[in-house]
Amino acid sequence: MSTEAIPAERPKRNYNALFGLTLLALLVLLWIILSVATQSFASANNISNLLRQGSMIAILAVGQTFVIITGGIDLSVGAVVGFCTVTSAMLINAGVPVFGAILITLMVGVAIGLFHGFGIVKMGLPPFIITLATLTSLRGIGLLMTNGNSISINNDAFQEFSRSSFVGVPNLFWMVILVGIPAYVFLHHSRWGRYLFSVGSNAEASRLSGVNVQRTIYMAYTLSGLCAAFVGVLLASRIGIGNPTQAEGWELQAIASSVIGGTSLFGAVGSVHGPLLGAFILATINNGANLLNVNAFWQRIITGVLIIVIVYFDGLRRRGK
Amino acid sequence: MTSTAQELHPAPTLAPGRTILELKGLEKRYPGTHALKPVDLAFKSGEIHAIVGENGAGKSTLIKLLTGVMPRTSGEVIWEGRPEALATPHEAMALGINAVHQEVVLCRHLTVAANMFLGEENSRFGLLQQRAMVRDAQRIIDGLGFDLPAHVMLGDLTIGQQQLIAAARATVRGTKFLIFDEPTAYLTRKEADQLFTLIRRLKGEGVTIIYISHRMEEVFELADRVSVLRDGTLVGTRDIAETNEPELVKLMINRSIEQIYHKEHFTPGATLVETKNLSGKGFENVSMTVRAGEIVGLYGLIGAGRSEFVTTLYGRHRKSAGQILWQGKEVEVNSEHDAIRLGMALAPESRRDQGLCLNLPVGLNLNLPIYKRISNNLLISGSREKAEAERQIADLRIKTPTRHALASSLSGGNQQKIVIGKWLAHGAKLFIFDEPTVGVDVGTKAEIYRLFSTLLSKGAGIILISSYLPEVYELADTLHVFRRGKLVATHGFHTASHEDILSQALAEKQEKTGGQK
Repeated sequence: MSTEAIPAERPKRNYNALFGLTLLALLVLLWIILSVATQSFASANNISNLLRQGSMIAILAVGQTFVIITGGIDLSVGAVVGFCTVTSAMLINAGVPVFGAILITLMVGVAIGLFHGFGIVKMGLPPFIITLATLTSLRGIGLLMTNGNSISINNDAFQEFSRSSFVGVPNLFWMVILVGIPAYVFLHHSRWGRYLFSVGSNAEASRLSGVNVQRTIYMAYTLSGLCAAFVGVLLASRIGIGNPTQAEGWELQAIASSVIGGTSLFGAVGSVHGPLLGAFILATINNGANLLNVNAFWQRIITGVLIIVIVYFDGLRRRGK
Repeated sequence: MTSTAQELHPAPTLAPGRTILELKGLEKRYPGTHALKPVDLAFKSGEIHAIVGENGAGKSTLIKLLTGVMPRTSGEVIWEGRPEALATPHEAMALGINAVHQEVVLCRHLTVAANMFLGEENSRFGLLQQRAMVRDAQRIIDGLGFDLPAHVMLGDLTIGQQQLIAAARATVRGTKFLIFDEPTAYLTRKEADQLFTLIRRLKGEGVTIIYISHRMEEVFELADRVSVLRDGTLVGTRDIAETNEPELVKLMINRSIEQIYHKEHFTPGATLVETKNLSGKGFENVSMTVRAGEIVGLYGLIGAGRSEFVTTLYGRHRKSAGQILWQGKEVEVNSEHDAIRLGMALAPESRRDQGLCLNLPVGLNLNLPIYKRISNNLLISGSREKAEAERQIADLRIKTPTRHALASSLSGGNQQKIVIGKWLAHGAKLFIFDEPTVGVDVGTKAEIYRLFSTLLSKGAGIILISSYLPEVYELADTLHVFRRGKLVATHGFHTASHEDILSQALAEKQEKTGGQK
């Protein structure tokens, strides 16, 4: 095991790290402004709440980013989350041990991801189409399985998990770290990470260089499916029910987080820390708008404007480079 | 109004020899570079004016200024006696300045006719007169002597044919000043001849032609005058009758021509690869061997089956019959992966489409085939990644600020070095080069050829595909000629004349195409 692996190499171009810093600065700035402007923002309770709100989108955004780096898109993640709340609820209520239920649910996510890979690689479908198809059908399958009803989960320990904290930090946020660190190492320090970039930049050149392009695509969608299934488990735990219509529109929030975090929808540009920061910036804006009593309708508009502004400035900076 | 066939050639009534465009102190600076130092030059109507120079000498900058793609930093452009701003492409086109680029910049998913009239569609009451446009386009194409259909999708034509369409397109727009940027890079000899006919005809009509090419024999075949750029400076303009190739090359690179085709002969070693009656899509019954230390050249027209042969050898396509022997043992090569594992490396024809990840760093591109080797099970060794990339950058003298620079920021020649360099690290034994010097300047060519010698000296074998006869002729130890999917002749080093090889490649009784000596 070589030990020099991590410190010796700064594989990302410097400006990417810089961009991460400016995003972090933006996030901190938002926090400072909100702490001054509102009484309740800086309270322990609210911060925990904010971290919980942002965590699930953050994990989705990481999986989404792998896919976007290859030049693809995964529109199914919201539906996968909803579907996986149903599978975990049903499994737990059927008496399957929680650990087993989680494992099976994660396998469902992997299977969905493999199916996407199959559709793209073997059937030649555009990623947009195959994942759009999954989005709508998974919701349908979930509704069939539940007859349109919510399933209450009768396992307190399972629900307790997402409500409690460890050393003062909500468990849900620990899950972001649990996903984020391996994801970072995978993307920036493993050859599979390099292959995600190379396939997104030029699939043909990668293939001629001996990169297994098909496997790389399978891998990206499988990881996205896995992240989504994991979020499904967390959501089931948080709300205590299985309901296939949950997490409506989360795929768009995940994509937005990723893009705010500097991922290029044309592929080959992206990181792990960027989308994480992007997700928490979005969560902060929603949280702050609530505290400031901004109309919920306005929140959506503000989010849209913010996406345009951030990505526009990112584009300017890149071209200026 | 709309373009019709009658308006095809608006018959420029320009007196030949009159100055049409004059540059006075034309200059372009980018942040950090002085791309074009003040240039004074006058173009006459009805002349073919060649511009030669290495990559980065300022040719592209000059074209961009003339076509209004970029604003100039200072200087004057005087068009027919009046100073012009030339600030936008539209302005340039309105004056009658057009360009035909090396890479076709047209819409592949539209028909030939639609492309011909793109931006100047024939429409009535807002509706496109599609049939009329196809008819007019066909008339124009026929009139130019190109044997091409106007109703098919542009993308269905070969690159060479698309290039002809791009040239034809420029002629329908009342062009008085037409710039060709390396137009023959992807053309077969026959297509090139058609293009030359078109160019001479335009000249006869008083159109000024700027012709940019790396191919000296084309310059001497076509041009009336030639200007040489070096490092952004105009180092000389000559009448073609008063100069010769050695002089031009000397002006371009300050180096003599003998040093370009650097050929060292090595004693061939063991056989690396042998094909026995190999057949596949686009070629049949090809038997050949490549030994360590030799260059095997494959010459033929585009579409003769050379590329298909090597891509099948490389596992890209399935063979339909025959055998491949690798170091004496029969092998099945079912994928590029198999080929790479055996020790083959392919530097593909189209650098941009197949060779490089342009928006990724140089270092990543160089290491792409060897990430498996420089990782343990999980992680990439950062120090080895750095060392491997930097070693290749130094060995190949790749001009890049750091290994983190994006491949797209490098010049064409340096990009080509990356394509080659990534296989050096991989330790490949057989190198397949498909048109390695297309669009590459003389200086970089020389470096690429020296690289061949380095490879050979390390015991590698090379398959060199080229449509440029002097290149294979001067470099190949064994030269195979392909025609219509078959290997029709084999020669040793310098054992046949250019004419013989050319006629074998063309087969039909070969009318003199000129230029080839």
